[in-house]
Amino acid sequence: MFAALHNAFDPALFWEYRVALLTGLLQNIIIFVESAVLAILLAFVVGIASLSRHGAVRWTAIAYAEFFRNTPEYVLLVWVYFVLPLIIGTALGTKVKLSPHVAAVIGLGVAYSGFLSETVRAGLRSVSYGQTESALSLGMSGFTALRRIVLPQAVRRMLPEAVNQLVSLFKSTTIVSLIAVQDIMYQVSMISVAEMRPVPLYTGAALLYCVVVILATQLFQRLTERWRRRGWA
Amino acid sequence: MDGDRPIIQVRDLRKSFGSVEVLRGITIDVSPGSVLSIIGASGSGKSTFLRCLNYLERPTSGEILVDGEAIGPSTAPNGQRTSGASPRDIARIRSKLGMVFQQFNLWPHMTVLGNVIEALIQVKRMPRSEAVDLGRRFLVKVNLLDKKDEYPAKLSGGQQQRVAIARALAMQPKVMLFDEATSSLDPELTGEVLEVMRDLAREGMTMLVVTHEMGFARDASDRVIFLHDGKVEEDGTAAQVFGAPSSERCQRFISSALS
Amino acid sequence: MIENFNRFVLANIGALLDGLWVTTYVCFWAFLLAVVLGLIACLIRMRLPYVRVVAIAYIEFCRATPILVQLLWVNYVWPEVFGFPQTVTGAGIIALALQSSGYLAETFRAGFEGLPKGQREAALAVGMSRWRIVSRIEAPQVALVVAPLVINQLAVVVKSSTLVSIIAISDLMYQGLKIVNQWYEPIEVLTTIALAYFVFLFAISRIANYAYVHFQTKFGIASSQ
Repeated sequence: MFAALHNAFDPALFWEYRVALLTGLLQNIIIFVESAVLAILLAFVVGIASLSRHGAVRWTAIAYAEFFRNTPEYVLLVWVYFVLPLIIGTALGTKVKLSPHVAAVIGLGVAYSGFLSETVRAGLRSVSYGQTESALSLGMSGFTALRRIVLPQAVRRMLPEAVNQLVSLFKSTTIVSLIAVQDIMYQVSMISVAEMRPVPLYTGAALLYCVVVILATQLFQRLTERWRRRGWA
Repeated sequence: MDGDRPIIQVRDLRKSFGSVEVLRGITIDVSPGSVLSIIGASGSGKSTFLRCLNYLERPTSGEILVDGEAIGPSTAPNGQRTSGASPRDIARIRSKLGMVFQQFNLWPHMTVLGNVIEALIQVKRMPRSEAVDLGRRFLVKVNLLDKKDEYPAKLSGGQQQRVAIARALAMQPKVMLFDEATSSLDPELTGEVLEVMRDLAREGMTMLVVTHEMGFARDASDRVIFLHDGKVEEDGTAAQVFGAPSSERCQRFISSALS
Repeated sequence: MIENFNRFVLANIGALLDGLWVTTYVCFWAFLLAVVLGLIACLIRMRLPYVRVVAIAYIEFCRATPILVQLLWVNYVWPEVFGFPQTVTGAGIIALALQSSGYLAETFRAGFEGLPKGQREAALAVGMSRWRIVSRIEAPQVALVVAPLVINQLAVVVKSSTLVSIIAISDLMYQGLKIVNQWYEPIEVLTTIALAYFVFLFAISRIANYAYVHFQTKFGIASSQ
C-alpha cells in the first residue's frame, strides 16, 4: 500500500503538464466569473420580484426559485446543452447550436440563481420596513428608496451566504468538463489517459481544489470580517 | 396662498384592515400654524389616522386634501373610486409633510448629516453643497451639529430622534406629523425631544402630534382630539378637553393617563 | 411531441426505472454512510484532543473538494492505494458519502454546541450518568434541531448522484443519456428526467421545511437556521 501511496503523490507529473492544467483552471475561473455574474443578476431580479405586491409576479418568482433549487445542476447543464438549442431552433425556424462554454455559463448561472435569489430575498426582508417608510415619507420614490436605502443595507447582510453560494458555484464548475469544456478536469482526464497514470493526477486534482477552495473561503471570510468591523454590515 | 384655507382637510376617512374597521369616518380640518394633539387608547386608530395623511396607509374610503390637493385615489362609500394622485404626485405631496416615527427609522449606513441631506439630494435635486449647508442649519436647530459625522448607532435614542426631526424639517414641509415620537424613549431622554417639538410649535409650524405625553398635549397644543374606536369623540382646545371634556370616556382616559 | 414521448420515454420505461432504482439505492446507502461518518468525525473533533486535527482535516477536505473530483479520485485512486472499493457502485456510494459527511459533521457540531449548557447541568444535578445524559437529553434535542439540515443533505446527495453516471454507474442519468445518445432525440427524455428529479427533490425540501416549522413550534427549540 505504501508503494501505491508513494505513487499517488507525484508533483513532478503536475509540473510537467503545468501549462495544460493551468489553462484548464483558467477556464474554470472564467466560467465561474461569467456564471456568477449571470446568477447574481438573475438573483436580484427574481429576489426583488418575489417581494412584489402583484401576486402573479411574486408567484412566478417563487416558482422559479423553487424549480432551480430543486433540480440538479448536472441535469440542467445537460438539458441546456442538448435541449435548449433544439427548442430555440424550432422557435426561430433555424438550426441553433450552443457552444459548450455558453451552455455551461447559462446552465450554472441559472442553477445558482435559484439559491442566490433566496439569499437576496432574505437580505431584503431583513431590512425593516420602517426604513422604507421614512424614505417614502420624505417624498422619495419606491425605486429610489430601494436603491439608496434598502439595497445598501440588504447587500451587506447577504454577503456571508452569497459567498457560500459562490464557493459552491466554483466547485461546480468542474462538471463543465462533462460537456467537453476544456477545463482542468478535462485536462486531467486527457493527461491520465495519455500517461496511463490516473492515480497521481486525480489525487493531485483533489488536493489542488482543496487548497484553492480553502484559500478562497479564508480570503472571503477575512474580507467580510473587515467590512463588518468597519461597521458596514 | 389662501391663509384661511385649512392646510389639511379630511372628509369621512375610513380605513379597514381586512374585516377590522380601524377608522370609522373621521372628518376634520387643520388650520395652518396650529398644533393638534391626538390622544386616545391603543388601538383607537391614532397612528393609522396619521399614516393615512401621508398615504403610508391607503384609506378604504374618504377624502384627504393636503394644501388643497387630494392625496391618493380613494373609494367613496358607494364603491366608486375617485381617481387621485399618481405615485409621482403622492411623492410630491409627501415631501410637503414631514413625519417623525416612533422607531426613528434613521438609515444606519449613512452619517447623521448624510441622513439629513439624502432626501434633499434625491427628491429636491439639490446640489450637494447646498444640501449640506441646509442640513447643517437644521442640525444646529436640534443641537446636534457636533454629531454630524457620526453614524446613528453611536447616538442615544433622544439624539437619534432629534436627528430624525432635523431630517424631516430639512425638507421644509408645511406640516409635521409626529407618530408617538417619544414612546420609544427612556424617560430621561423624552425631555430633549419634547423641547424641540415645543420650539417648533412656538415658531408656528403646523403640527399633528399623536402622543401619550399628556403634558405636551395640554400645554403645547392649540387643539386636542380624543379618538376612540376609530371616531373623534372629543374635539376642542387643550383647555376644554383637559378641563371639561364632555365625553366620560375621555375624562376617564385623561385622569388615568395623568396619574 | 406526445408521440415522441411515447417513443422514447415510455418505450424505454423499463431501463429508466432500473436507473431510478439504482439512483435510489446509491443515494440511500450514501446518505446513511454520510450520517455515520459525519457523526464520527463530529465526535472525534469535539472530544478527542490530538486526533481531532485529523478529523478537522477530513472535514475540510470533504467540504472543499468538488464532488466530481471526489468521485474520480475514489474510483481510480482508492482501489490502487487502499484496495477498495472494488465496484463502481461502491465508489459512488463512498464518494457521495464523503462529500456530505463533511457538512453533516459541521451541522452536528453546531447542533451540539448550540445546546444550552443548562441542559447538561440540570441532568448532572439529578444524578444522570454521562451516557444517559447524552442519549436521553442531548442527542434528542440536537436531532430535532439538525433534522431539517440533515434532510437537506439528503437532497444534496440526490443532486450529486446525477454525476455517478460518469463512472459507469447505471443510474437514472446514465440510462437517460444512453437513450439520448442512441436516438439523438433529447427533448422528451431529458425533460422527463429533469422533472422527475425536481418532483423528488421538491418533496424532500417540503419535508425538511415541515420538520423545521413543526419542531420549532412544537418544541420551542430555536434552530440554527
